[in-house]
Amino acid sequence: MRTAYQRGIFGKLLDIDWLLPVLAAMIGLVGVAMIYSASGGDWDLGAQAHLTRLCAGLILMLAIAVVNIRFWLSAAYPAYIGALVLLLGVEFFGVSVNGSQRWLEIGPVRFQPSEMMKIAMIMALARFYHDLPAFRVSRPEGLLGAILIIGMPMALILRQPDLGTSLLLGVSGVIIVFLAGINWKVIIGGVLTAGISAPIFIRYGLHEYQRARILTFFGATGDPTGADYQITQSKIALGSGGVTGKGFQNGTQASLKYVPENRTDFIFTVIGEEFGLVGGLLTMGIFIALFAVCFRLAMACKQVFSRLLILGLTVSIAMYVYINLAMVMGLAPVVGVPLILISYGGTVMLAVLASCGIILSAHLYRDQELPKGSGVLL
Amino acid sequence: MADNIPDNENAVISRRAALLGAGGLSVFGILASRLYYLQVTEAARYQAQSENNRFNFNTIIPERGRIFDRTGQPVATNRQDFRVVLIPERVTDIDLTLDKLGSIIPLAQTTRARIKRDIKVNAKFVPILVDEHLDWASFSKINLQIPDLPGILPLEGKGRAYPHKGLFAHVLGYVGKPNAQALAADTDPLLRQPTFRIGKSGIEQSMDKALRGSAGRQKVEVNAFGRTVKVWEEDRIDAKSGADIWLTLDAQLQAFTASAFGNESGGAVVIDTMTGELRSLVSAPTFDANLFVSGLSQTKFDELNADPKRPQFNKVIGGAYPPASTFKMAAMLAALEAKIVSPREKITCKGKTALGDRDFRCWRPRGHGAMNMRDALKQSCDVYFYEIIQKLGMRKVRAMAQKLGLGATYDIGIAGQVAGALPDAAWKKRQLNANWRTGDALNAVIGQGYVLSSPLQLAVMSARLANGRSAITPHLVVGAELPPPAPLDINPGHMDFVRDAMFSVCEERGGTAYKPGALGIDSVKMAGKTGTGQVRAISAAEHLSGVVRNEDLPWDQRDHSIFVGFAPYKAPRFAASVLVEHGGSGAGIAARICRDILGKALKLDGMGNTAELGGAAP
Repeated sequence: MRTAYQRGIFGKLLDIDWLLPVLAAMIGLVGVAMIYSASGGDWDLGAQAHLTRLCAGLILMLAIAVVNIRFWLSAAYPAYIGALVLLLGVEFFGVSVNGSQRWLEIGPVRFQPSEMMKIAMIMALARFYHDLPAFRVSRPEGLLGAILIIGMPMALILRQPDLGTSLLLGVSGVIIVFLAGINWKVIIGGVLTAGISAPIFIRYGLHEYQRARILTFFGATGDPTGADYQITQSKIALGSGGVTGKGFQNGTQASLKYVPENRTDFIFTVIGEEFGLVGGLLTMGIFIALFAVCFRLAMACKQVFSRLLILGLTVSIAMYVYINLAMVMGLAPVVGVPLILISYGGTVMLAVLASCGIILSAHLYRDQELPKGSGVLL
Repeated sequence: MADNIPDNENAVISRRAALLGAGGLSVFGILASRLYYLQVTEAARYQAQSENNRFNFNTIIPERGRIFDRTGQPVATNRQDFRVVLIPERVTDIDLTLDKLGSIIPLAQTTRARIKRDIKVNAKFVPILVDEHLDWASFSKINLQIPDLPGILPLEGKGRAYPHKGLFAHVLGYVGKPNAQALAADTDPLLRQPTFRIGKSGIEQSMDKALRGSAGRQKVEVNAFGRTVKVWEEDRIDAKSGADIWLTLDAQLQAFTASAFGNESGGAVVIDTMTGELRSLVSAPTFDANLFVSGLSQTKFDELNADPKRPQFNKVIGGAYPPASTFKMAAMLAALEAKIVSPREKITCKGKTALGDRDFRCWRPRGHGAMNMRDALKQSCDVYFYEIIQKLGMRKVRAMAQKLGLGATYDIGIAGQVAGALPDAAWKKRQLNANWRTGDALNAVIGQGYVLSSPLQLAVMSARLANGRSAITPHLVVGAELPPPAPLDINPGHMDFVRDAMFSVCEERGGTAYKPGALGIDSVKMAGKTGTGQVRAISAAEHLSGVVRNEDLPWDQRDHSIFVGFAPYKAPRFAASVLVEHGGSGAGIAARICRDILGKALKLDGMGNTAELGGAAP
């Protein structure tokens, strides 16, 4: 039987697991509809751009999907180091938006290297554990390597400052370490260390506004117009939607602009207000389907690199969804995390679709043999 | 299957992936239950909050009630007011726009600063008032220039107007923006509306609640920034205009009275002797109440305050003056009621009464000779009253003065009434903590010394004397609830006697205000009493060397000219009081004005020559 890597480009495209692109496109189209509604029925205020980006992203995803998994294996470390260099570049040459320096401008293109890093770090970790013999995973050299790969970008992103992305990166990294089979003793030790150091970090390691958001969430401040206002209005939007919602484009909280950022981070409030519990659960259902497909693809692979890569990318995407939904529903502090593929915004969409492309590639080349490296970096 | 991958490693990943998947699903479970809680359990609460967010009720300002005189002439109305507002979000260049506008209407630097301040503190779509009370010419010019003035909006609204300018200023008061005190005392949301005005004084203030009306409301949908995005026409409650008010005053008589004062300062009252309706209530000079509505400039305000004739001061109800000889009717009635002197008994006036080492002088230095009671009033002999008060005592005179209406304030709906003073021994002890001396009584009995009354009180006294039976009280508003007047409880025979004496003052040769046919209506006669209120003490030395003639004194040291009277004598219809500050003898200007206004009041009431009434209004 001819395997995927032996066939032509069309054969490869036919062999792709098409359920994943279809689900991603569905979610993206939900975004187009919701942005259209939140813009008061104006096609030009984002919905059009979102659709264009979605199409471009899907094409990019397919392009990435047919790239041989060997390439991603060999590109893992260079990509990671490249992203690290770009993050350092942000430190020195970055553009400030809303008080935090997250963007790099190259000609007309402005992008966030931290989005690149999310993929690159997962690739690097997957490569690291692919090369590392299983028995060394919980040994000091294994731990040190993982801590370095996860810790360096986290520190740089935290300095921008972007607490949300930094935490996302950290959590997805730790989950890969967990998947790689790290000893339970180490896990328990790590959890304890995190539990002790978190309050100290919140006290000294955060910017004023980040602390304010966290304090607001825990009810320590009564600021009615800032983050508290956002959460309150967000809950009013969801709650007033009821079971079936107010109907498409009938959301008053949305159309009268009571919920700030309702085309970007708070777009789920538009779904909840206009389509109610039914719409909210259906949206969550599509996400669950998407992640389930990803898990199935991971399990179909035999290579450590492929499996960890797919699972890591899936976890990273799922983290976005969890944090965003928890934030919108008032279960988490307001951190600037968009709802992937639905929120208006280019970088995250491209990053997510690129991740999906890599997942597809790993699955497409699941039978490809991948050499084990020496067990050291590079 | 690649054999370089140990199976146990793959098995670990699979096991842990399964754990992870289960964890991931349970996170979705938590999120779903949270969504259920928000959208089902708490839905009603959030729906209410959403509606609250969404809808506002705009206040519709009611039209203020109008005020008319008794003949239906409007004295306080609402006229079209022309305003210009600016909507910041539609203006591209504020300075340029204000420059252009400044070439049509004057815009002071301070006004421009105020406009810019208002723009800064309000949302961009909130109209900012540029100017109001524009004349029609400027307003139409702005309307023509509108295409060149984006963001400038000419508006027509309602503003309070007093067509008679100052004529009713002391009665009506005026309206203005509510101050912090008014806002604290009154929770009516209308007061929070930027263009709303409340009564600040006079009838406008006392009847404010009735005049105000009640606010309407309009349901509107607003967005997060407060901008109205939709007006719900079906959910509208129209404003209820304020109640119109009719005054008992007669604008024509009021105008006549005011013009009778000319440049003089003082107050005059014409009152119905049967009902207590006030037909005229004038404090002169006056001020244009319209100035206060539009906001008075500092210079104009200073000018009003610096005027020695105090235009803003309501002298007719708030001025306390010595009633002088007009007080003698009270002393006379008290003496008659106490039966301490027979009306026929004669007392000789030699020009003064000696009390201890002090001389109390009659106004006529060489004396009046033998005076009975009637002649004493007719010629206003002071010595007669100096003599009887020593037997009578001030307490009884005070009680009689109170019966006649002095020393009291009346609920006529204007704040600032003065009670005046009616002294006796107890009063002096209470007020001044001093002992009463006979000399005090001698001064008081001729309406000098401690005695003080307002022109309104003197008019009430005059009306009660004319009426003879009822203690009528004055009122200003038609339809006001009045208690039935109490009986006067004075012997009618005594009343007739006093009225006859007052008749002799005006209609008999030798009376201090003798002028036959003064009313200008055939065979209609009047009764009255002069009063000359001293405002300075005259020393014994000046009496010796000759008292300085009034005309030779500076204005503010001259005597007050006072007159009270009623007409027709036989069937009294109107009573009046006139006080001219520093006007000299009561027999002079006050008597003249009083005759004129009583005559005018009777004619306006339909008495006398009807042909004259039908002619052009004077």
